Amino acid sequence: MNNSAIGAAVARKGVFDSRLMGAAGALVLLLAPLAAPNPFFHHLLIMVLFSTLLGVAWNLLGGYAGQVSFGHAAFLGVGAYATMLLHLKLGWSPWLGLAAGGALATLIAVPIGLLCFRLRGPYFSLATLAVAEIVRLVALNWESLTAGPQGLLITQLPELTLFGHAVDWESKLPFYYIAALLALLAMGANHFIAQSRLGAYLLAVREDMDSAEAAGIDTVRTRVVALALSAALVGLAGGFYGLYFRYVDPDAVFSVALSVEMVFIAVVGGIATTGGPIVGAIFLVTISEVFRERFQSGHLIFYGLFMMLIVRYLPEGIWGKLRALLRLAVGR
Amino acid sequence: MDTLLQSLVSGTLTGTLYAMIAVGLTVVFGVMRIINMAHGEMVMLGMFGAYWAHEAGIDPFVSLLLWMPAMFAFGMAVQRFLLARVIPSGELNTLLYTAGLSLLIANLALFFWNGDYRTISLDYGMTPARPFGISVSIPLAIAFGLAIALTSALYLFLARTDTGRAVRATAQNPDSAALMGVNVARIDMITFGLGTALAGAAGVLLAPSLYLYPTVGEILIVKCFVIAVLGGLGSIPGAIAGGVLRGVVESLGAVYVSVAYKDAIGFVLFLGVLLLRPAGLFGVGRTS
Repeated sequence: MNNSAIGAAVARKGVFDSRLMGAAGALVLLLAPLAAPNPFFHHLLIMVLFSTLLGVAWNLLGGYAGQVSFGHAAFLGVGAYATMLLHLKLGWSPWLGLAAGGALATLIAVPIGLLCFRLRGPYFSLATLAVAEIVRLVALNWESLTAGPQGLLITQLPELTLFGHAVDWESKLPFYYIAALLALLAMGANHFIAQSRLGAYLLAVREDMDSAEAAGIDTVRTRVVALALSAALVGLAGGFYGLYFRYVDPDAVFSVALSVEMVFIAVVGGIATTGGPIVGAIFLVTISEVFRERFQSGHLIFYGLFMMLIVRYLPEGIWGKLRALLRLAVGR
Repeated sequence: MDTLLQSLVSGTLTGTLYAMIAVGLTVVFGVMRIINMAHGEMVMLGMFGAYWAHEAGIDPFVSLLLWMPAMFAFGMAVQRFLLARVIPSGELNTLLYTAGLSLLIANLALFFWNGDYRTISLDYGMTPARPFGISVSIPLAIAFGLAIALTSALYLFLARTDTGRAVRATAQNPDSAALMGVNVARIDMITFGLGTALAGAAGVLLAPSLYLYPTVGEILIVKCFVIAVLGGLGSIPGAIAGGVLRGVVESLGAVYVSVAYKDAIGFVLFLGVLLLRPAGLFGVGRTS
């Protein structure tokens, strides 16, 4: 009885902690752009939030459920193209298009999942690589729809009035707050899922698929649900990408490199943690900005190097390690 | 009819070289249970080896004598100093680790050698041979012959020698092999060295027939994974059959369906096989 009381207290404290952290995070996000009113700084913040969103999404499937996907760029590309095309061809509002992008990515994730989850472990990873290549080739060659390698361009975003003010799309601030909202949404969803029954199923699937099945978990369904949720978030990110850069082409949004970046963010930050992807995203954006101006694609050398170092010496990731140290210091 | 024959022949030629890369992957997987994401980069290094040899006035095919042992040693070193420390921590960690290694090698190559498309032009590669009215590129035909010779040599090594027997024993069960006195750490090094040497050799052989650039491995590796899985991971005959099948399907697809979608056809074939026969065409691969 004593034990359960302590357990309940710890659980309450845990919830309190995460709410506090969520609120503090939201406040920091709200105020962060005021730290330096300069567009480049805002651009970096946007990229960090965008990358966080991708990392969180990948982590749901790759971290919690242990299903390493090397093909998540497919969902990003589908989301980006859906948002752009619905706006350009049908005149949909970009914001409706953003949601539609997420929905479409979720929709294609289901058959992809049903197909690829016939396979386990590394086989699944290879299948995702192949699926992403098929999607990329279709986007590249279906020129009547996607304009092929030329890509799609939105010259001007439609006017939008919010609280009586016209939103200034030339400034980076609106995009910053959209990205912040999406990243918070993703982290909230992640936190919620990690504590839910589904989260427990995902861990069970990761640790031992056969035992999970023996315990009555429908492992295919669980994995498909995880993939669909993950794809929904990546699809939203894709729509955001399209609107922010106002340009997409197959090499930009369907590349293997982009899929690998998502893996990098989650692995470097910390597999199966809510906060890890932020750390991973800051790391990724810093490296790429530092090296991009000195030599092109030099940052990829460091992505590779850090991924190897982390897997070898710090498999729980930077955030995972910090959190463990912190808990040790507090004495739980 | 001529077109059909022509595409069958050229498909078989390229398919055999794909097969050689896939055999390297599949042997490493069979013994060590790891999927080497950096395998494509080993092919790329072989291609650049042939290129630099050609620049130095050595025939690319002769340079095989230099690059195969060099890649064998490189593979042993990668296994000994990098992979051996990571493999015990699990399949997925190893997968991520080799993905990191692949990024590292490809982008170091991009940094030092820049991203230009290079070609090797050989005197005897200018005009194709025309046996029975079918056009056959001479460098590709030489590569085809050497690929068959090298893959057969590997097969004989595994089938006939003591070390080869130890490799196969380790593939079946590392623990039992160790109990029988097999030095499993040494076998792992030899196996990874062989896989890498085979990838490097395939790169040397392919170099005169393809454009070469530092990130070429990315495209090749995706194809060869598909082939290895088609044939059933871990199975050498499966990888060879998968390679030739893929080459033929691609070249028939380019003629009869569309050039733009020729790569996609290969992937669709792959997904079809996954759906119907997840253990590979020959049912010897493992799905778990």
